[in-house]
Amino acid sequence: MDFLEHQRKLFARPGSGLGDRRPRLEDDRLLTGAGRYVADVSLPGAVSVAFLRSQLAHARVRGIDTEAARALDGVIGVFTAEDLEGVSPVPDFPDPGLARPVGAFPLGRDRVRYVGAPLAAVVAVDRYIAEDAVELIYPDLEPLPTVASMDAALEPDAPVLYDGWPDNLVVDVPADGDSDDAFQRLRTVSGSYRMQRQGAAPMECRGTIANYEDDRLTVWTSTQFPHIARTMLHYVLGIPERDIRVVAPDVGGGFGQKSQVYAEDYVVAWLARHLKRPVRWIEDRYENLVGSVQAREVRIDLEAAVHENGEIEAVRGRIFQDLGSAESFPNGFNPAFVAVGSLTGQYRIQRQHIHVTAVATNKTPAGAYRGFGIPEGCFAMERIVDRIARELDIDPLELRRRITIRPDEVPYTAPSGAEIDSGSHLASLDHVIERGKAALEAIRAEEHPPELRFGLGVATYVEGVAPTYFGTTGHWTAQDACDIRFDPDGGVTVAVGVSAYGQSLRTMVATVTALELGVPIDHVRVVMGDTDSAPYGLGSWGSRSTIVASGAIHRAAGELKDKAARIAAAMLEAAPEDIEFVDGRLHVAGTPDPSVSWGDVAERALIRTHLLPDDVEPGLEIRATYDPPGIEHVPREDGRMNACPTYTNASHAVIVRVDLGTGDVSLVRYIVAHDCGRVLNPNIVDGQIQGGVAQGIGGTLFEEFPYDDGGQPLATSFMDYLIPTSSEVPPMEIEHFESPAPGLPWGAKGAGEAGIIGPAPAIAAGVEDALAEFGIAEITATPITPRVVLEAVRAARGAAVTA
Amino acid sequence: MKPPPFAYARAESTADVLELLAADEDAKVLAGGQSLVPMLNFRFARPSTLVDVTYVEALQSLERDKGHLSIGATVPQLVAERSPLVGSDCPLIAQALGHVGHVQIRSRGTVGGSLAHADPAAELPAVALALDATLVVLGQSGERTIPAGEFFQGPYMTALDDTELLVAARFPVLDATRTAFVEYSRRSGDFAEGAVAAALTFDGQTVSRARLAATGVGSGPLRLTAAEDRLTGKPLTEDAVEAAAGEVALEGQAYDAGARAYKTALLRALVARSLRQVMR
Repeated sequence: MDFLEHQRKLFARPGSGLGDRRPRLEDDRLLTGAGRYVADVSLPGAVSVAFLRSQLAHARVRGIDTEAARALDGVIGVFTAEDLEGVSPVPDFPDPGLARPVGAFPLGRDRVRYVGAPLAAVVAVDRYIAEDAVELIYPDLEPLPTVASMDAALEPDAPVLYDGWPDNLVVDVPADGDSDDAFQRLRTVSGSYRMQRQGAAPMECRGTIANYEDDRLTVWTSTQFPHIARTMLHYVLGIPERDIRVVAPDVGGGFGQKSQVYAEDYVVAWLARHLKRPVRWIEDRYENLVGSVQAREVRIDLEAAVHENGEIEAVRGRIFQDLGSAESFPNGFNPAFVAVGSLTGQYRIQRQHIHVTAVATNKTPAGAYRGFGIPEGCFAMERIVDRIARELDIDPLELRRRITIRPDEVPYTAPSGAEIDSGSHLASLDHVIERGKAALEAIRAEEHPPELRFGLGVATYVEGVAPTYFGTTGHWTAQDACDIRFDPDGGVTVAVGVSAYGQSLRTMVATVTALELGVPIDHVRVVMGDTDSAPYGLGSWGSRSTIVASGAIHRAAGELKDKAARIAAAMLEAAPEDIEFVDGRLHVAGTPDPSVSWGDVAERALIRTHLLPDDVEPGLEIRATYDPPGIEHVPREDGRMNACPTYTNASHAVIVRVDLGTGDVSLVRYIVAHDCGRVLNPNIVDGQIQGGVAQGIGGTLFEEFPYDDGGQPLATSFMDYLIPTSSEVPPMEIEHFESPAPGLPWGAKGAGEAGIIGPAPAIAAGVEDALAEFGIAEITATPITPRVVLEAVRAARGAAVTA
Repeated sequence: MKPPPFAYARAESTADVLELLAADEDAKVLAGGQSLVPMLNFRFARPSTLVDVTYVEALQSLERDKGHLSIGATVPQLVAERSPLVGSDCPLIAQALGHVGHVQIRSRGTVGGSLAHADPAAELPAVALALDATLVVLGQSGERTIPAGEFFQGPYMTALDDTELLVAARFPVLDATRTAFVEYSRRSGDFAEGAVAAALTFDGQTVSRARLAATGVGSGPLRLTAAEDRLTGKPLTEDAVEAAAGEVALEGQAYDAGARAYKTALLRALVARSLRQVMR
């Protein structure tokens, strides 16, 4: 099938609206307060849950005294691990040869391994009383030695978190970098780069409400993947999937944190079945900051073998990831592999050898966060490119141009095995370099107080999208599905397995369905987020939704149109292959009159079936699945793997302002050249980029989950966990490049995560550029706090004096 | 994040307040609630009774009083910030209030609440120190006044007794005085990473009296007396600014070496900026 021809027809169709800035279908509901989030689900007789959480980072649980809590007026029950009859540990899916199983149990039983780990659940008539009762539970905890950092976890005599383990390595996959002779032949440049622990902090925290009625469990939960949540509830609670309904109502942001299934979800569902009444738990911000997954905490040691012209022949090194207690589903170590898989980005590098190590520590479990390893790898790669440029005395922007794959080299196989199918790698880079240089020149030409300095930083990368759910979850697939059903009046209901949490998926699904079928968009109703009415799908994560939903809808629409053509052909006394679909009507090619509408066809297919041709079955509905092409679900023997059907690319340029008095870094201009293939609606893609860049700025300058030596979390409210506000986020100058994905019907690539990847390396480079006059003020870690900046200036001045 | 049970009592007069505070040793005064309510929700504060003082009219005045500007304890920060009287008599107060939280916070938060709460990074305590304000306090044995220099005793600690009520803050109206408030915070609206309140009185070109107070750089508001001494009796020149900033040190504060170096550098920069603002 020639998808380019298909896209030309779609995008060129008058009035299609594709590529135009149109308002979102979601806006009226969500912006006028008509959205319905999990906390808005109100069930008669519902009772509230509060959790007792461990205040110790590492302890043996000797017993839990719940008597006083049970006696409090208004308390319905207090439950600990031993009460959870019929509950199994959360399955550890990965191959034990890849990762050690941790056997997480929803409530702490033998041990607790982080502050915030749930130990007991109180059910009471309201949350106030439930929290009062939590204070009356007395856990008998024997403190154990704490492993509060990745470095501590790797010490030879470190305390070990899991019984029977010789050390704290959850994953350790070596790479053979010694055999690569490039590191003997060529100049080598090395560096060690760190990112700090950070997290998603969605505006809506998590929440789960469950009810057990008529032998069926219904769970409303703020999730990105209702079907996966259903499957996990089945595994852990032992209830058949057909007897579980999971509903994701409106979800106020997920960013990966809600593509996890949590202890509280299992416990609340179990309580509803046990108590035979609706049970409600709404996460508060403290719980979110200690109990929902955190991310990004890595150290990446890199060594590059480089030619004198700056071309990198090979890279080798090791990534260390801090998994916290590792008690998360899906497992928290997957970003380390993605960081490796995406490491070399759009650079022409022949070989890579990266050892992957992920360790358990006494901190909140690691899990998914927008970007999912790509920001970590990109930061290390872009930082070492800047170091190479310095050592070879090449302009860092020119070096990036030189080593970026040229259009004639695409498709390009990256050393990780990623098949970069298309993109505007060099063009997007040139765009931001040109704009960035002009912006810096203009700003430096203005008058400024003497203590201010300005610098330009650029970062460029590719992002694999719609990946396989590989290995760590037990689901070796990238599939998703849709149901399309016509009503006799010509209306269409489309149900999809992807699930919205703020990314405008309703608009996307309605747009794609309307245009594939040639029906008006206001005849299309979209259903998602409910396992009873949507087909099994993997939900929304990995920038996959547009790709998998449009792929499934494209297939479904093709079959429905074939059937409609046969019905219409009988009505118009023509051959099915001569029927054309134009503006919601069907007619014989070249003869617009007479014609029939989709409604006429649907009516005949559904309620006037005696008029159907003999060889046409009644009904006008279909299910289609879609597994994006070109994906390898399992690594090859050499470890290489292409996990994605296509690759989004982008380049960022930022102008930073550094205040030498305070150490403050603020952003003056932010320029993005973004290529996610065909852009269906630039408003929506812009929103994704703006949100991603804002979060990336947060992770680069502000956000951090520090822990003290005893494993106590030090950022447990928004007083200490600093998410950027509108004052800290500059307006963004976004340019869309469009390199359609050749293997996908709509040519559109994912756009959900690309924004968050660029800020850290771009801002770090910008700060170095701004401070260049003092010598080498190198930034090798985030967050770049005011203190870090002033220390870098002092170190550079000191080095310059010594030199 | 739900508060433990507490009783609520609405006071109509200062006498009511004193009676309620005397009746219950775990009672706590509630004004704008911008610090107390989060502490309740975190269960860090567990008062048995909240005595709501926001309906007490005697605490709501903002007036010129014999060479002083008197601001009642429950005057909202936003009202003080936008008051023409504050602007003309004690502009430093308005300059500082612009840095307190966000507009929504300032419209609920009160002047007296900020002073009595004594957050070590709050703006108003530094202003009170720089202006030599007097805190007017009412207790069982009547009214007493406490100079700002004695009122602030450490992080979240003041000279207020549990049964006493802060009634007003009195700020001297200073002639021939120029002021500046310079703050650095990580994000807009945050508590200060560091801030300096400067009030310089001039005799012609000569600085006759210099007052510099800092916040966010230690256990509470700090007078920067060594820097003040460098400025007094001389014209305010760029050299004087540099010399004053160079006097800033944070020896007494409990910082590790890296934090001390950063905070000292920051404070020196802020002192210099506040003085340059005064010069302009």
